[in-house]
Amino acid sequence: MAANPITESGLDLSWLNLYDDAASATPGKKGLTLKEINQGRYGDAARGAGDMTYRMRGALARPGAQRFGPTYMSKSDVWSENCVMLYEEATQRQWSSARDIPWDTLEVLPDEVERAMCQLCTMLTEVEFIAGDVPGQWMPFVSAQDFEAGLFLMSQIMDEARHTDVFRKRALYNGGGLLAQGAGLGLRTLLEARDFTEMSVLMHVQAEGFVQSMFRMGELIGQTDADKRIFRMSAQDESRHLAFGVMHLKYVLDTEPERREELHHYLDKAEGDAAGGGSGDVTFPPVFESLAILLGGGVDKFDEGVQKFLLLRKRQINEYVHRLEVAGLGDRRQRLGPLFAQFVDPV
Amino acid sequence: MSTSEALAKMADHSQVEIPQDARDKARELKWDEGLIELALSKGHTLQEVWQALRGNVNGETAKQFLAGGSMVRPDFWWMKVPTEWGIKARPADKEMGLTIGDLNIGTYGDIPDVWNNRSEIARGSYPNPINEDMGYTIFEKAVIWADCVVPLYEIAIRDRWISSTDLRWASLEVLPDDIEKAVCQLMTEQSDRAYYEGALLSGWLPEISYGYHEVKFFLSTVIYDVARHCEAFRKRALSNGGGLGLQAPTDFSRAAQEARSFPELAAILFVQDSMLLTLFKNGDSIAQNQLERDMYALVARDRQRLMDYHIERMKHFLFKMPDRREEQNLYLAKAEGRMVKDWADPVVSEPLAILLGGGRDKIEAGQAKLAELRKQQVQQYVDDLESATFFRKGLNGRFQDMLKS
Repeated sequence: MAANPITESGLDLSWLNLYDDAASATPGKKGLTLKEINQGRYGDAARGAGDMTYRMRGALARPGAQRFGPTYMSKSDVWSENCVMLYEEATQRQWSSARDIPWDTLEVLPDEVERAMCQLCTMLTEVEFIAGDVPGQWMPFVSAQDFEAGLFLMSQIMDEARHTDVFRKRALYNGGGLLAQGAGLGLRTLLEARDFTEMSVLMHVQAEGFVQSMFRMGELIGQTDADKRIFRMSAQDESRHLAFGVMHLKYVLDTEPERREELHHYLDKAEGDAAGGGSGDVTFPPVFESLAILLGGGVDKFDEGVQKFLLLRKRQINEYVHRLEVAGLGDRRQRLGPLFAQFVDPV
Repeated sequence: MSTSEALAKMADHSQVEIPQDARDKARELKWDEGLIELALSKGHTLQEVWQALRGNVNGETAKQFLAGGSMVRPDFWWMKVPTEWGIKARPADKEMGLTIGDLNIGTYGDIPDVWNNRSEIARGSYPNPINEDMGYTIFEKAVIWADCVVPLYEIAIRDRWISSTDLRWASLEVLPDDIEKAVCQLMTEQSDRAYYEGALLSGWLPEISYGYHEVKFFLSTVIYDVARHCEAFRKRALSNGGGLGLQAPTDFSRAAQEARSFPELAAILFVQDSMLLTLFKNGDSIAQNQLERDMYALVARDRQRLMDYHIERMKHFLFKMPDRREEQNLYLAKAEGRMVKDWADPVVSEPLAILLGGGRDKIEAGQAKLAELRKQQVQQYVDDLESATFFRKGLNGRFQDMLKS
């Protein structure tokens, strides 16, 4: 056995006899993905108890291994049934803000429209910055027994770095610059979470959901092909983060239904915080006004833009409610905060 | 009937629940009691009311508007904030595209020695007068910065690879049992180490303030790289008739876990990251097939970027904070001692000896090659430190023995 006294020959070699079951995963249509190796005693279904040591699932425990501090011991604390697939998708769909955005196609825009776009980008670069810090904050607590969830979060950190940089690039390419810092964007609520599921429901489901709904209106917000592409590419990444959150919430509700009221409580707080904590609050006046200008197509079409902004909010809230329903929290519809409830379509 | 009574009466028709936040804000802006209800009864949405409140429309203006006065137009104050305007960043290198380095022009390229803002403000944007403290702890450029992070971030993105499809898994052929077990034990250890390093570095991201966002970007690529290494090694262990063996030793990693500051963390990781880079650069000598050669080469390419950062960060740090030079010996000594302990573990050394020798029956030859490899690793580590202008005093005794062997 490992780290045993050395044998007479000066060798130990007991590690050669630790297991007999041969694992021979074969590549599938998408190559050799985590799904193909998620088998037998190495699979998530065979997850053992966490031991706070970063021992990868399926590896044999080392006598004398030191603990590294608290990590989540229960699978339901961090797991999402789609994290295996989402991580592989993330690796396949990485993109480069430097080379995949047709920067040279950006056209000179009317000054107030350029300023509106730059203000939106200033806010988004802040939002995406925090969206990278937040999973980082939780990574040390994700047990290697659930390493696929950890790998997914690491891919999210990469995604958010790219989003932070792409919006900064956009603001500084077209004759503009960064404008006013957001105030009260609610981003701190994401860092204030004291539990992984609390964080996930606030960041992945609510905040990134709102951002995703906005990015999917990028065809209306973006004034140029390059802008529209930025939103499309970013939305593609946000879809994964959101999908992780929805399925994590579902997993928790399926396996620990007693947490339902607790989860409602987090949402009660977040929805009570004005327009929803952590969403990169689009009701913050510079963001609201810049969105209205972009959606309308100019300052002179501000009122038209406001109407489209209200449609954006409606879309954000209804998609949010739908995602919660998918996760098994359909009763949220009856408990929405008033600033959300005003937009919900009747059943 | 007073105005407020009249307004309240009209509001009876409204079914909309008004958030306390909105009432509090209305009170602050001196809106008459019931004015929100009046707005709702006139067909305005709660969202419009909320936008007016967030836009600091005062009570008198709101009342005039609802009485049929002129529309309240935003003043778009954010369009006039005094940030640098008229920036046209352009790619310096067409092949690389628009890089984050290209953005460091004008005031946007001012990377201060000390960053004073405790919020998530983007460098170069116009700050709010009052902000919540977001909890960052790293505000000094000297402890974190290396100029190379700017190009390395984009290079990391350009050079990304995908373990599932960029490695030819179908090409794997059955290996002798002892060799397969040795590969798998090495993969188990390295997968553990990669996952741990990713988790560790991730945990430090929220400590770094936005003044040095390029460092955060680069570390994000490192985190993503080691995630890929973790899964690639695991895939190799589980795809050719082997399995996962014994978890990695914990002595070195615990030293990294115990770091109380970023310079300490970086000094400790310097030791392992230098040693691992040399190991993977020697991948051809431990690889048993083309897939492994390719995998080690890709891992080494990723790890070279990390090592470039370590060297330049330490050099910059020592230049800016010369009084902290001697202190680094303490962290390096601790890390070296733990590394020696990990290396002495037969579950670490024997698989390498079998792979280097070419089988269990040739393990003695393999041990001799391993001694050469260890010597090379230690020498490169010492050289890396010297590249960082650090001339190690009191190198670990076992390391010294390895150099003399």
